[in-house]
Amino acid sequence: MAVGASSRPEVTSQTDVDIKTQLRKHPRVGETLIETFLFVCGAVSILTTIGIVFVLAKESLLFFTSGGVSLTEFFTGTVWQPAIGKFGIWALMNATFMVTTIAMVVALPLGLAVAIYLSEYASLRVRSILKPVLEVLAGIPTVVYGYFALTLMTPVLREIFGDDVVQIYNTAAAGIVVGILILPLVSSMAEDALSAVPDSLRQAAFGLGATKLETATRIVLPAATSGIAAAFIVAISRAIGETMIVAIAAGAGPNFTFNPFNAAETMTGHIVRISGGDLSYDSIDYNSIFAIGLVLFCITLVLNIISRYVVAHFREEYE
Amino acid sequence: MSQETQPSDIGQYPEGDNLKHFIENRKRGGLVWRVSFQIATILAILALIALLYNIINGAFGYVAIQNKVDPNSLVLAMEENQMLSSSGTVSSEDDNELVDGIEGNPNAIGFFGYAYYNDNRDKLKAISVDGQAPSRETAESGDYPLARPLFIYSAADVMRENPAIGAFVDYYLTNVNSVIEEVGYFPISDDLLNEATTAWSAAAGEQADALQAYTANPAEVSDHDISISGSSTVYPLTRQLAIQFRRAGFQGGLDLQQTGTTAGFRAFCEDMTTGISNASRPINRAEIEACESNKRTPVEFRVGTDALAVVVSSENTFLENVTKDELRQIFTSAETWSEVNPDWPNEPIERFIPGADSGTLDFFAETVFDRQLEALTEPELIEILKANLSTGLLRRFDAEAPLVERSQPELVDLVLERVVEQQVVQSWELTESIFDRAEIEETVAAIPQGELQWRSWLTPAFLVTPQSSTPELAGIRTALFGTLWVIAITILVALPVGVGAAIYLEEYAIMVANPTLRRINAIIQTNINNLAGVPSIIYGILGLAIFVRAIEPITSGMLFGVSDPTTANGRTIISASLTLALLILPLIIINAQEAIRAVPNSLRQAGMGLGATRWQTIWSHVLPSAIPGILTGNILAMSRAIGETAPLVVIGASTFITVDPTGPFSKFTVLPIQIYQWTSRPQAEFRNIAAAAIIVLLILLLTLNASAVLLRNRYSRRLS
Repeated sequence: MAVGASSRPEVTSQTDVDIKTQLRKHPRVGETLIETFLFVCGAVSILTTIGIVFVLAKESLLFFTSGGVSLTEFFTGTVWQPAIGKFGIWALMNATFMVTTIAMVVALPLGLAVAIYLSEYASLRVRSILKPVLEVLAGIPTVVYGYFALTLMTPVLREIFGDDVVQIYNTAAAGIVVGILILPLVSSMAEDALSAVPDSLRQAAFGLGATKLETATRIVLPAATSGIAAAFIVAISRAIGETMIVAIAAGAGPNFTFNPFNAAETMTGHIVRISGGDLSYDSIDYNSIFAIGLVLFCITLVLNIISRYVVAHFREEYE
Repeated sequence: MSQETQPSDIGQYPEGDNLKHFIENRKRGGLVWRVSFQIATILAILALIALLYNIINGAFGYVAIQNKVDPNSLVLAMEENQMLSSSGTVSSEDDNELVDGIEGNPNAIGFFGYAYYNDNRDKLKAISVDGQAPSRETAESGDYPLARPLFIYSAADVMRENPAIGAFVDYYLTNVNSVIEEVGYFPISDDLLNEATTAWSAAAGEQADALQAYTANPAEVSDHDISISGSSTVYPLTRQLAIQFRRAGFQGGLDLQQTGTTAGFRAFCEDMTTGISNASRPINRAEIEACESNKRTPVEFRVGTDALAVVVSSENTFLENVTKDELRQIFTSAETWSEVNPDWPNEPIERFIPGADSGTLDFFAETVFDRQLEALTEPELIEILKANLSTGLLRRFDAEAPLVERSQPELVDLVLERVVEQQVVQSWELTESIFDRAEIEETVAAIPQGELQWRSWLTPAFLVTPQSSTPELAGIRTALFGTLWVIAITILVALPVGVGAAIYLEEYAIMVANPTLRRINAIIQTNINNLAGVPSIIYGILGLAIFVRAIEPITSGMLFGVSDPTTANGRTIISASLTLALLILPLIIINAQEAIRAVPNSLRQAGMGLGATRWQTIWSHVLPSAIPGILTGNILAMSRAIGETAPLVVIGASTFITVDPTGPFSKFTVLPIQIYQWTSRPQAEFRNIAAAAIIVLLILLLTLNASAVLLRNRYSRRLS
């Protein structure tokens, strides 16, 4: 458009100027209205963010000012028992981190291996079959994974380690299934990063006598590090925010434990359980879910920002 | 391998055999890793297969069904009722009245205990049934159809441990034939009685003599108690003997109940609360097994025979023999004799039968009306419904579809569902059902009135019945409607806003010159990307605070005067939709942006070159080309919204609703919430219906995703 605007004056005659001024002064109400409406649509997302921050901050503030819960208690306590006024977030956070760690142990190596296989080894035909399979896996609702964790993964674990060792609700089963849930996410993001590495690099490596494995692990993988790191961080963020699997399979009671075979409630699981009934407004329980939500929001937001920063600043450019 | 990178090592590049090893090592390393990558991929696919297997496994399999009410007893009650209520029937508990009525009346017919007929042989005539004349011999052999054996059961261990019981059984067998005719039954032949005595001696073993001594002097075992239950037919006989035993000196506790044969065996074998069980039929295999699993081996003692006599007056000349089918007609629907058999006179039938309280009527009905529930006619089924359901419930069913217009199978189903109340007492998964069939059959055999049935939990009825607290009657109708309402409104809100935002960001924002606005636009873009990474449960918290609580007057519908009177709070469909709309907005925007970006710039330039305004260009050139991409993104966002559970739990979706949602301000439940609820229940049957609901959800999502893929493939390369 800038080109058109600047070239026009060169050919102006008297009448053209008239038309131009006419056109310029002619207020296009419709166009302006539409543009405003579209801007508002775009601004809805800003409003959403503001809404989230405002709501979380406001209710959390109420939680800390009214309930006799101090910030230090909240961030250092390991007991979460609203009935006796104990609100130590670590009881919940610890379970969240346990589930996330187990999920990562499952999803990161597997996801990366699948990505390398798909991008470097698999034939076109195999890829055309496998990618939709992974997409299907990614499209299954999390509540279905929750059913899977409770009715298959837990019995399998109990079969292997013994009924007296593994409780019916445990973070191990939930963690493994969360790992399966985010596996397609890791593999597809990592595969995108690997595929983005130009073929000339691979050809150069092959030309120097490198084997396929050497090319994949020493040339392509380092070149795609930033993308893969971003994938890992997004996966962690996703695992921390995952709700239904842990709500169904991890346990229904805050429990500060490092034993993955014991029941323990995560932050998200606690929010779901507490709000499952008819939660009365302005109760300490009601306010507490906003405080937990705020912590959750901050953790995931920071992780997402880091991931975007990693992609933007550590990307290897090859063009 | 570091040799390659260090120039000084070039000279030491392996040679000869070393080179061979070097190459082989590299090859092997490559292979090992390649295989491990493949294994990882296979594991991922296995996870998907395990997930699907697990769902299918839960949704189909065997179930053990138990009836709350025995269907045969329903049929019996209905038929007895027909007998009692048909015109021309006189019913009395006093047998004398029956005899007086029949006597001297050639058109009269009736039945009662054979013993009573025996006393009135001069006035009455007993007729043959199915060609068998009633007599002690035909009754004992079982040839005469209206006869049944009478038993008592005990066990060897019981008799030895409790000498009172051992002695009483011996006393019973010794004295039964002296009282049995008085009670009204046929005495058994000496052969059968000898058999019973031999069985007793074998069971008593070494203690036989000691026990017989007690029989002669029951007072000596008075420190033991006797507990008896079972058949009400045998009851009067046992009662008579118990009274005599007491008179002979027995002082201990004597508890005698009439509970029916089946319940009697249950008390004897499973609960072990009785030492003797009265029975009017032989013990069956399952009951023997139940006894033996408790280390009780039942011993059977035949004590008599019960027979009914069908009698007419001595003046009756045409009746000598009837079949069971003729009996049924004579005592229920037929009004004249010629209706049943044209050879008989065209005279009205006058019926004289025992009253409803007597076991005689039950026995007659059981023997003569040998019909299954499934074989009944429509009016008979309706009669059963009327006799067993409350009038309110009946009126409701009648309003749904008039009972008289329903087909016979429909009525049978209704009776099974509402009166018989079949209940699933245990369920098995698909693989168990296939591989452990024998074990399952054993378990079912141990369940009283248990029946093994193959069941698919996913049925058409499952889709159209509302929620229920009994898993076998529950369905997903309300959840499906809830999902449809919520998703429809979500898309109505999110699609225009999302596409609008995408248009703004792609078509307007990049043209903006104002630096402040430029910055705002950049923030919007970053913000959208960040929102896509916010956990869904945070949206639930947002929805709870804003839509459910802050603007409750709007979302509950109170402002418009249309709120649902049962809730009247903000936990409504509209709140859920708005929450989900915010949740999928980033997804729709990002996808729509990509679709708009893919439209070649030449199209825009051509449009504007012809004098179209920016909006005209967008509306008639850019959007039409971008629509397939936008729709694809929209469908994917929709399937995300359909599967979302956590935010809806947080904003307070109802978990138990049996009425369909009626509009945006109704309370609601959706499919994933229903699945979550059912999965969280401890009973296995709820897991089964959760699996069935998951199948419905997955089919819905697969259909949506497949249509998105089709759309993408069909229109993707039109412009390039």
